[in-house]
Amino acid sequence: MSAPSAGHLERCLLLHRRDFSNTSLLVEVFSAAHGRFPAVAKGARRGRAPTAALLQPFQPLWLAWSGRGEVRTLGKVEAAGAPLTLRGDALYCGFYLNELLMRLLARQDPHEDLFAFYVAALEDLANGQGLDRVLRRFELRLLQVLGYGLVLDREADTGRPVSPAGRYCYVPERGIVAAIDGTPDETLSGATLLRLAAEEPPEGGQIREARRLLRAALAPHLGPRPLASREFFRRVRGA
Amino acid sequence: MTELPLVSQLIDALRCLPGVGPKSAQRMAFHLLERDRDGGRELARVLAEAMARVTRCRKCRTLSETELCGLCANPRRDATLLCVVEQPSGVIAIEQATDYRGLYFVLGGRLSPLDGIGPDELGLDLLAERLRRDGIAELILATNPTVEGGATAQYIAQLATSAGVGVTRIAHGVPLGGDLEMVDGGTLAHAFVGRHAL
Repeated sequence: MSAPSAGHLERCLLLHRRDFSNTSLLVEVFSAAHGRFPAVAKGARRGRAPTAALLQPFQPLWLAWSGRGEVRTLGKVEAAGAPLTLRGDALYCGFYLNELLMRLLARQDPHEDLFAFYVAALEDLANGQGLDRVLRRFELRLLQVLGYGLVLDREADTGRPVSPAGRYCYVPERGIVAAIDGTPDETLSGATLLRLAAEEPPEGGQIREARRLLRAALAPHLGPRPLASREFFRRVRGA
Repeated sequence: MTELPLVSQLIDALRCLPGVGPKSAQRMAFHLLERDRDGGRELARVLAEAMARVTRCRKCRTLSETELCGLCANPRRDATLLCVVEQPSGVIAIEQATDYRGLYFVLGGRLSPLDGIGPDELGLDLLAERLRRDGIAELILATNPTVEGGATAQYIAQLATSAGVGVTRIAHGVPLGGDLEMVDGGTLAHAFVGRHAL
């Protein structure tokens, strides 16, 4: 990845930030054209109008940076619109999306379409759309972009089309196969799969099935370390 | 410095202070050793004693040398008001700048889902218990105006509401003596939403 020429501003969002030394911030940038990379914002927490106010997750930004090492140095910072206001559970879902990207997206691997999907998902969360619907759509698109897209309307081994009335299982690295036996808790209905394939929101009992399917599909790529934001959500909701 | 292991140990140890790099640490160490041995001894004594005796207040979790900090133990403070801040420095800032007469609760951080900092790490079970038992009328949220500070405020507001305690949040806005043109959009938007009648 080459740094953009000095002063050239790029569309970005921040996935994470933390304090670094006395007055600086260490941020994880997700840029439309250059993918994900870490950067230091020197002196961002100092002065009368600190740029730390802008350098926050869910704030669309124009950023310029410099440097050749793995960690870049941020230059100019400008807002690219009002911050996306996530409230209530939508805020926790926003953190979940950020963690998914931090965990699954390789550094410095540009994905312009994924950036657009991410912005769309945050806007949907800010506009109060159904959380499950937004998350499932983003998860499916993320898997697609990363090259692990799910084929949901055909059986993996036979190529037969999925029937709305059938029951199916998801087998990691193989795909959807017809269920031979198993309780409704372990299998997926064909109707759920077809709705997801058509990017339509699952309804009723399909919501849980869709969540279970995507969790199983993401698991091999996330590895054994659990998602902190998922655990967090569970604890916060349990309280 | 290989022939002076104690001196290099001292320099390394001084680097644990914020803003102190290898150069400043070396200057500090040589200053103490060459010019101010008494000052160095006094520093070592006070440092050891403070590390041993300063703990957290049982009630508000701020730094304290006694089981209850001075503020929590003061009967003249208004026990129906509780102000939540992230760090002990927030208590000092509010004490110096405002005429707030209530009590405090210090979180020692903020909820940060991606760093694995959840309600347990911030002592929020203790806060929930105080909200239920201590007859608090108003909970004032003074967490920092960041996304994570906002998540923390949102979570604590839920705790307070379920305990039947009124919640307010300190205003965010244009700095005094500032210029609207120079204020970032997010702050200005907050200031606009939070306008009040004159």
